[in-house]
Amino acid sequence: MKRKNSIMGMAFFGPALVLLTLFLFLPMVLTFGFSFTDYFALNPELTHFVGLENYLNIFKDELFVKSFLNTVKFVLIIVPLQCGGALLLAMAINRAAHCKKYFKVAFFIPVVMSLAVVSTLWMQIYSPEGILNTLLGQIGIQTQPFIHSADQALPSIAIMSVWQGMGYQMIIFLGGLQNINPALYEAAEMDHATSWKKFKDITLPELKPLCVFVFITVTIGAFRMLVQPMVMTGGGPDHSTYTIVYDIYETGTVNWEMGLASTMAIVFTIFVVVLTIIQNILTKDKEGKHVNKKAKKN
Amino acid sequence: MKKRLLCLACVLAALGTLAGCQKKEVRPGDVEGYDPGETYLSIWVHSIEDTEEGQAYKKSVESFNEAYNGQYFADIEFIPRNDSGGGYSDKINASVMAGGLPDVLTVDGPNVAAYAANGIIQPLAELTEEEKSAYLTSIIEQGTYDDKLYALGVMESSVGLYYNKAILKEAGIEVPDPDHPWTRTEFLEILEQLKPVMDEKNGYPIDMTFPVGEASIYYYAPFIWSNGGELVSEDGLTVDGFFNSQENVQTMQYFRNIVEKKYMSEAPIENLFESGRAAFKFDGAWEVNTIYNSYPDIELGVAPYIVGDDWSGERYTPTGSWAFAASSGTENIQGATELVKWMSGVESGIRIWEMAKNFPSTYEAFENIEIFQTDENYGALYRQLSDYGHPRPKTPVYPQVSTSFQEVLESAALGGKDAKTEMDKSVERINGKLERYTRE
Repeated sequence: MKRKNSIMGMAFFGPALVLLTLFLFLPMVLTFGFSFTDYFALNPELTHFVGLENYLNIFKDELFVKSFLNTVKFVLIIVPLQCGGALLLAMAINRAAHCKKYFKVAFFIPVVMSLAVVSTLWMQIYSPEGILNTLLGQIGIQTQPFIHSADQALPSIAIMSVWQGMGYQMIIFLGGLQNINPALYEAAEMDHATSWKKFKDITLPELKPLCVFVFITVTIGAFRMLVQPMVMTGGGPDHSTYTIVYDIYETGTVNWEMGLASTMAIVFTIFVVVLTIIQNILTKDKEGKHVNKKAKKN
Repeated sequence: MKKRLLCLACVLAALGTLAGCQKKEVRPGDVEGYDPGETYLSIWVHSIEDTEEGQAYKKSVESFNEAYNGQYFADIEFIPRNDSGGGYSDKINASVMAGGLPDVLTVDGPNVAAYAANGIIQPLAELTEEEKSAYLTSIIEQGTYDDKLYALGVMESSVGLYYNKAILKEAGIEVPDPDHPWTRTEFLEILEQLKPVMDEKNGYPIDMTFPVGEASIYYYAPFIWSNGGELVSEDGLTVDGFFNSQENVQTMQYFRNIVEKKYMSEAPIENLFESGRAAFKFDGAWEVNTIYNSYPDIELGVAPYIVGDDWSGERYTPTGSWAFAASSGTENIQGATELVKWMSGVESGIRIWEMAKNFPSTYEAFENIEIFQTDENYGALYRQLSDYGHPRPKTPVYPQVSTSFQEVLESAALGGKDAKTEMDKSVERINGKLERYTRE
């Protein structure tokens, strides 16, 4: 019986494993292999093993470093805004007396829309004679260049991305909020706790596991920023919105340098993995301390 | 038992998807119209079957099969590409590695050099002088690399310097004839003259931008060429001293001048020209059709492209489009060449105009399409193409040259950074890409 079960298991698992191996694991291994070569897509026959040359070269490449810094900037703007915004929205909806469904759907719609569509839409909003500039004009603020200036393009795109992505995390938080035992709030009310105290001492601790999850997924998502700058600015002006993934794409498919692009992809992956591990350790530690504190108090 | 069968079906289904990746061998009878005794020629095109362009290619292939019945059979496959060129080129790249390139494929004009230098396409079989002379000079030049003809296009493209007749009349400006274009100094004076007129209309003298993508080098490289500059050396393997030459620095400063004096808007404004708020605009030939159909109030004219102050009649205006080439994988270069010639010939050219409104590539096709004789604007664009058309730089690292050119426009002309420094940086980057062609 046991053996039969394991055969059945393999049979169900097998096809998925074959496909995963072919389209995920194998490409990953190949990418790792290519990262040590000068593999050129138009002329694969001339591929040589170059050792660590690519790895040394990309750090000397001004553009790669710039795209790396840009990506970090994106992450620094997007992560707090998107996590915080999603939490605020979720709490607002949770409290709303009417039209809950309407708001839920309204905030979630941007998530469902294609990024390319959203980006095109916001290009109109940000354009010199678009809605935003017209509104600003009404309150006496000069026309802003937004995505057409090297200083404003990155924050403009980041804010658009936050708006676009927030709905998803909002739904997650909303689920979490609804799972909090109302008795906790009732007890707090009896103790005359202020709203801020209730938020700080009940809502946040109860949502902690969700926060960690949201924090990590938003961070990884922000690191992978590509479509928005590609559609809206093409990485410009003056490379101010050029991201790592964009650089990988251009190097690999536009300039055909698959070897170099593979190296960039590997470095990028390592960076994100390390960062995620650090995030995990940091958030776990705090949780531990929190529990310890509670225990000591008791 | 039932469960086991189900499992088996799953495994087979998974394997089935893999089998799809194998290269197919086509035998007579497999495809409708492919008869014994005919040589099979596969052809890939970069468009979607349901578009006008796709249908035009399909019809051309059908007529080829009729004309060469019993000798050749061409089988067309449509491989859509997205805006940034992915999709189609990904498929080509994959086939270069894994094998399975077709006999004939389409290549974007500026990529001919890279494909030729890397042995993805091979020179066509010898064409007679008469056959060659049927094509616009720019088409032959675009398809030639290292003195060999690799590709022939059915389409040619052009960019016009459009003007609003009413506005120029109001300002009292006369447009010169095609052989005596405005020099850049004269053009600056005209923009200056138009500035107050356009300020009144809440507009700008000229509607131009430096967009990311291919458009920038396509629209503005003529300013480089007509000023005695080049972007790459003749063999396409050197950029230092060309891309960053003194002449080109001057050209960038010229654009900076236009931006600084606010003759153009720094941020693109939509439909500036179409709404009558700009006197001039650079745009592709499609703009004529757009104005005629959607903005009938605009009186449209085509002015000759601006030249450098010391220009003495050299070719300089924008050209270039997708072309057909024989892949290095074809064993029948004679047949592939016949197919390339047919796909790019007069009949196919007239069809591509009629169905997709793309300019054809042969003189005869132009002569046979009435609108190029009767409409002054289309006529002007055709004359500009045939008399002054210049292909984009021919170099295997074209993508990097194109990106760099746009980047310099953005940082130097728009951003006000030092043009020479920016161009030197570009040269360094392009040299990095050139290394694989120059080491040896």
